[in-house]
Amino acid sequence: MIYNLAQLMERTAGRFPEKEAFTCLNDSISYAELDRKANQLASCLIQNGLEKGDRVGIFMNRCLDTAVAVYGVLKSGGAFVAIDPFLPLNRILLIMKDCGIEQLLTTPSQSKKIKVISDAAPFLISIIGLSDEQDTKTVSWPSVFSRSLEKFVSPRILEDDLASILYTSGSTGTPKGIMHSHHNILALARLEAELHDSDEQDRIGNFAPLHFDQSLFGYFSGPLVGATTVIFPDSYVKLPASLSALVAKEKITLWFSVPLLLIQVLVHGAIEKQDFSALRWVRFGGEVFPVKQLRALMLKWPHVKFINSYGPSELFRCTYYVLDEPPKTDDPIPLGTVWGNTEYKILDANDREVERGESGELVVRTTTLMIGYWNDTERTENAFYRIAKAAGYDHIYYRTGDLVQENAKKELFFLGRKDRQIKLRGYRIELDEIEAVLLKNDAVKEAAVVIVQKDSNNRSLEAVVKLEELTEYTTDDLIRFCKNGLPPYSVPQKIAILTDFPRTATGKIDRKQIIKSLETPT
Amino acid sequence: MTDKIISYIKTEISMEPVDDIDLEEDLLGNGIVDSLGMMQLVVFLEKEFKVKIAPEDMTVENFNTVSSISEYLSTKLN
Repeated sequence: MIYNLAQLMERTAGRFPEKEAFTCLNDSISYAELDRKANQLASCLIQNGLEKGDRVGIFMNRCLDTAVAVYGVLKSGGAFVAIDPFLPLNRILLIMKDCGIEQLLTTPSQSKKIKVISDAAPFLISIIGLSDEQDTKTVSWPSVFSRSLEKFVSPRILEDDLASILYTSGSTGTPKGIMHSHHNILALARLEAELHDSDEQDRIGNFAPLHFDQSLFGYFSGPLVGATTVIFPDSYVKLPASLSALVAKEKITLWFSVPLLLIQVLVHGAIEKQDFSALRWVRFGGEVFPVKQLRALMLKWPHVKFINSYGPSELFRCTYYVLDEPPKTDDPIPLGTVWGNTEYKILDANDREVERGESGELVVRTTTLMIGYWNDTERTENAFYRIAKAAGYDHIYYRTGDLVQENAKKELFFLGRKDRQIKLRGYRIELDEIEAVLLKNDAVKEAAVVIVQKDSNNRSLEAVVKLEELTEYTTDDLIRFCKNGLPPYSVPQKIAILTDFPRTATGKIDRKQIIKSLETPT
Repeated sequence: MTDKIISYIKTEISMEPVDDIDLEEDLLGNGIVDSLGMMQLVVFLEKEFKVKIAPEDMTVENFNTVSSISEYLSTKLN
């Protein structure tokens, strides 16, 4: 029986030693080689002082080294923390300090940024993965992979042990670390394998970066069944014509991404010129897929089955909806029904279950539910809805914050958010966080951040601010300030300086009025 | 030509403040340009150099570095 992710890799390496586990352009790695290199990395981490449960940062772009990094950390008994290399330095330091990262894994292409991080982070005891060993702190990949495994003893890992912390935006301006166990990720891998009936013949297109939980499909569900995961480098994900050519060339059978990537391939990917006959399933999630574009894509790929899949990072995924044929009407696509080992309730504002057909907040109890937020019992408790079954025995549900409605077929429909979290180009963004960051600037007196719908295909993130008197701050200064404190996708595309804000009768900032004025062309 | 491209990327689309952009630097892989920025860059190039860039030409070979962009534009202009 396997119950942790180290065993997952060992079992597949035993069954399919010579099979390609991961590939990225012209590089690839077999299961046997991946298993051995992961053990070598684990032994290196342990020798550097890692103890079970310690957090190890992974600071890499999309490349083959990520696979060794992930499994090496897990086999050492540590938990991996994927850090987006496009984050500003402040944010990177905040994450590393928050969860106490002492060892960082990287890759030679990140050496410029690593130099800056290394200077600013004296708490790092080791940096693994640069091409040369500059000082006592750094270890190169060749030196990791020349280690002998004779004395290596793998640690005992329980299914409840911490496997990963996934950082996401928090409304107060500090990121939240979502903790997942070996059990959670293994359960996800099994549910996803069942969903697609996948096996060792499959080739998974991995488009998401490691810090985005869609990537867990390629990194774990693929290896669970012995499939090959194809890692798409950043440049291919951003250029649709190259992306669609590579998907065809790699004979991808399983596709999972945000709708935006599929839309770009549909519009700019010249897909008539490519052969997609290997493709079996397209799964999309992360935000709403506009029905017109979904239909157009389904008509071009009639041999492919499409699935909408939904779930917040706190529990990965919980519902799915299979589209057997292109949607006939423009009605929104349902989130669908819950998958295995999962149940839900829909609650009103007073935490009472709504009548059938009424809207309310979705709360979900599932096998993939997070352990909690790292080092934050208050936020964790607020995120959970407990039903006491007996003293000391609760059923724990996650409050998704998503407002939903159920139809007669027990399918769920997404209606909106309870709070001011939004999805833009697949990214989860807290509008309150951006305001909190703007207000940290002494020149800013008040700030409002909103989503402006310019036309049906174009939503943009914009801010309006009121400045303190006698400041010479410009909008460019403010954009630069945001870039230093926020992930790139959370930086407002436009900031306008106002002398005063529209107000409601009670004196609060009238955001609806602000949106209206920004949407009106001037 | 490369100067014009570099200065446009630096002032209009780079995601983080950059000191200098190397001709061979991986624009997308290093996060200097994202997918929205790439669309913006194409619109700029079409206007500035009076060329039409077909979607199927927007490939890694043609657009991943400043030098590959300028090579691609030169073949279009001749």
